[in-house]
Amino acid sequence: MDELYLDNIDEYVNDQDKIVTYKWLSLTLGVHVNTAKQMLFHYLDHRRKESSAQLHATYLVSGKCVDNGQASHKVSVIKEDKLEDFKSKMSLIVSVHVYSVQKALLKDSGPLYSVDYDAVKDNMKNCSKYSAIRCAGAVPVSSVEQTRAIQRAPSPEPESKRSAVNGSAHPAPKPSTKPQKGIMGMFASKTSSKNQDDGKDVKSEQKEEAPVDDAPKSKPAVKANPMMNFFGSQAAKKPEKTVKQEEAPPSSSSVEQKRPQPEEEEQQQQQAAVVKPKPKDTQKESRSKTKRVEESDSEDDKMDKKKRRRIKKPVSDSSDEDVIPDSPQQMETREPSPSPKKEIKAVSHSRQRDAEMKTRKRRRVLKSRTFLDEEGCMVTEKGYESESYSETEDDFQAAKPAPKHPVPAKRPASKPDEKKSQKKNSANANKGSKQASIMGFFQKK
Amino acid sequence: MFSDLSAQKQGSSLLCRPSEDQGPVFDRMSLAYSPCSERYTVGERSFSRQYAHIYAARLMQMRPLLSERAKQKWGSDVLIRKLCDLQTGEQCCIVGTLFKRMDLQPSILKEISEEHNLLPQPARVKFINETDELILEDELQRIKLEGNIYRDKCVTGSVIAIYGAEKNDGKFTVEDFCMADLPPQSPRPTLSSDRFVLLVSGLGLGSTHADSMLGLQLLVDMVTGQLGDQGEQSSAATISRVLLVGNLLSQNTQDADAATKPKYLTKKTQAGSVEAIRLLDEMLLQLVASVPVDVMPGQYDPTNFTLPQQALHRCMFPLSSVYPTLQLVTNPHQSHIDGVRFLGTSGQNVCDIQRYSSMDDHLEILEDTLRLRHLAPTAPDTLGCYPFYQKDPFILEECPHVYFSGMAPTFQSKLIKGPDGQECLLVTIPDFNSTQTACLVNLRTLTCEPISFSAFSADEDEDSEMNVSH
Repeated sequence: MDELYLDNIDEYVNDQDKIVTYKWLSLTLGVHVNTAKQMLFHYLDHRRKESSAQLHATYLVSGKCVDNGQASHKVSVIKEDKLEDFKSKMSLIVSVHVYSVQKALLKDSGPLYSVDYDAVKDNMKNCSKYSAIRCAGAVPVSSVEQTRAIQRAPSPEPESKRSAVNGSAHPAPKPSTKPQKGIMGMFASKTSSKNQDDGKDVKSEQKEEAPVDDAPKSKPAVKANPMMNFFGSQAAKKPEKTVKQEEAPPSSSSVEQKRPQPEEEEQQQQQAAVVKPKPKDTQKESRSKTKRVEESDSEDDKMDKKKRRRIKKPVSDSSDEDVIPDSPQQMETREPSPSPKKEIKAVSHSRQRDAEMKTRKRRRVLKSRTFLDEEGCMVTEKGYESESYSETEDDFQAAKPAPKHPVPAKRPASKPDEKKSQKKNSANANKGSKQASIMGFFQKK
Repeated sequence: MFSDLSAQKQGSSLLCRPSEDQGPVFDRMSLAYSPCSERYTVGERSFSRQYAHIYAARLMQMRPLLSERAKQKWGSDVLIRKLCDLQTGEQCCIVGTLFKRMDLQPSILKEISEEHNLLPQPARVKFINETDELILEDELQRIKLEGNIYRDKCVTGSVIAIYGAEKNDGKFTVEDFCMADLPPQSPRPTLSSDRFVLLVSGLGLGSTHADSMLGLQLLVDMVTGQLGDQGEQSSAATISRVLLVGNLLSQNTQDADAATKPKYLTKKTQAGSVEAIRLLDEMLLQLVASVPVDVMPGQYDPTNFTLPQQALHRCMFPLSSVYPTLQLVTNPHQSHIDGVRFLGTSGQNVCDIQRYSSMDDHLEILEDTLRLRHLAPTAPDTLGCYPFYQKDPFILEECPHVYFSGMAPTFQSKLIKGPDGQECLLVTIPDFNSTQTACLVNLRTLTCEPISFSAFSADEDEDSEMNVSH
């Protein structure tokens, strides 16, 4: 075996001033734990012979120990100077090996834990890859269970595939919007950071509402409206195309979604590579979009800014009110839109709002549903659902639920020279949609 | 012994230079496993019922068993009377539920009535007193007991048979009494090789002193085969299952103020249990990637408080619940592991009996509950319990081979034998957070041994330095 690792360890210990535990080393160099233990021993031995800088080591000793007549198996981490002393107390020694090597003398064993904790945390997926025990049964079942989960989606909702997974909640690996901690969180944040890094140097021109994974945050649905009006007529002319473009993202983004459950470790990187181009586009797209919106409708934008607080209100309100169990049904009736669309919505998951090039608009509404899962636990789910409503309707009957019959026919009819007025109109419409009930109240008087 | 086994399989030393050959990889021994805790899952939950039904169901189910025992003990011609048919002075046997009237038993009604001039009372660990009275109840009546029965050892809710006679003063003088004793047991398969089940209780994540964390990490590393020489690793591969017996989270994660503080003050503060659960999830992930794990909730864990505690919800473990090796189970929990029947609780039942009786030894209490044939006699009196009304799921119908309880102060184990040849290993699992000790049950020999972990701390040094200076 080449002895490069001696230099490696030397660098970790002396230059980077790290505490090198066997576990950290095994994960860092990708070697079997036992090899890592031997490497540490070899390094220590080697250094001691050179008798250069002072090194401190801790050892792991395990064996039988008899205390008050009770024999027990004892596993201890001890400092080097106590090693012989400790060994003499054991009635049978099973293992002795180097646990860690470090430059400083450790006061207590707390840092040893932190080192291992960080190492494990960085290698969550393959934390026992280099250990001496394999467990055949311990294979993540993500994909299988996911499909199972989809099959037994609890409610008759017209929900998309993705949100169905969310709907049935607990079968784990699903990336839900908020508790994106664990693995999902890790990967999610990784991708998003990647997005941010790469977001600038991109050119690809894909004109559609791609999932905006990280940006959206406080971008209210309404904000998209001006833009919709702006492009309204064009979009109406070629709605077919839009749909097609929309259909593209689900596949790629679903790859992205699935990525966090790879069976093999390497997959992670490969996939990262695969996925990269996509987020770039989306990032770019979303940015340019927002910019354009700002430029074109500064007035509206101001409005938005002023109204920001209010804008949020109706949304959250509706979510609260919609807790009633039959809300899904309502949705059903209200939603005449084709399913591929919904799919995108659900897949793209984060709170992105697509500005759709269509006359009918959709908004994302936070709905919560409560149901009993098969273990008898109450599960309350909050999820974004899209519902469609018509802008024109909003002006006049905002308070009423959106109509069943879509209005796209009206749109193309509106002449180009009407555009301007329409735009203003739409600003009103926005307002209307925000404070529907109050406006209606005043208008009537 | 685990250490002896490991020592036999000694491989090459790790105190040498690395060799070319790859390190060894052992396969985790997998065993047939079937959970059988259905009786402890509560489906539809209705809390509108009274608790009297539990006692009625309990007595109804236990009476025939006790009558039979009484006949075995005092002859088949023994007179078994209902309380309402008692004749003064007649020697007979009565069967009923014990009730201990205790002055010190906390009572919300008493608290309210005395609220006005209430002096702060010292917190009690025991609620027994000289003035306690034992009373036996059956379906219709109750009668005070005296004589040959040790009052302080008995607890409310146990169903027993008593032999004696009613005296003129209306009290029943006890000559002897008997309990239902061990339930019948299905035979245990003979195993060819040693295999282990690791029992751990009271991980206490989220506690204020984090220095115990290395011990926990050592435990995880040992089980997952990272620590030790080859011999130890190959033995660790025979640990075929890990049972986490309650109190995964520390009591510190429960903020008593949270319930009383106004919401606007606590809106932004995160519950202490959130961080602890995340830690637990990460720890579980390491475990479940290498070994099947059963997770039982305990007193301080985020699930319902009343027994039977339902399993923790999967959504709390986004990382580890992906693995099929993670089993979230109820407390109490019952399962067959390779034909060996495990039954146990996270220790609430034992601790409660400790408070309301003179017994202090967890092992003794554990044995008593087995002999009473009831997991938690003090429920629902002093131990929170779901208001069952058709059955009492805590009655032991089959004798387990391994009967354990968590949150004990120390490790103890004992093999007891029943009248019909039953063999049962009793184990009290110590609180890991304070003792750094877990237990290994050998399924082949039905024995249990402690396994402890330790790390050095700053205190040790100080101690030794002080010794030097003296």
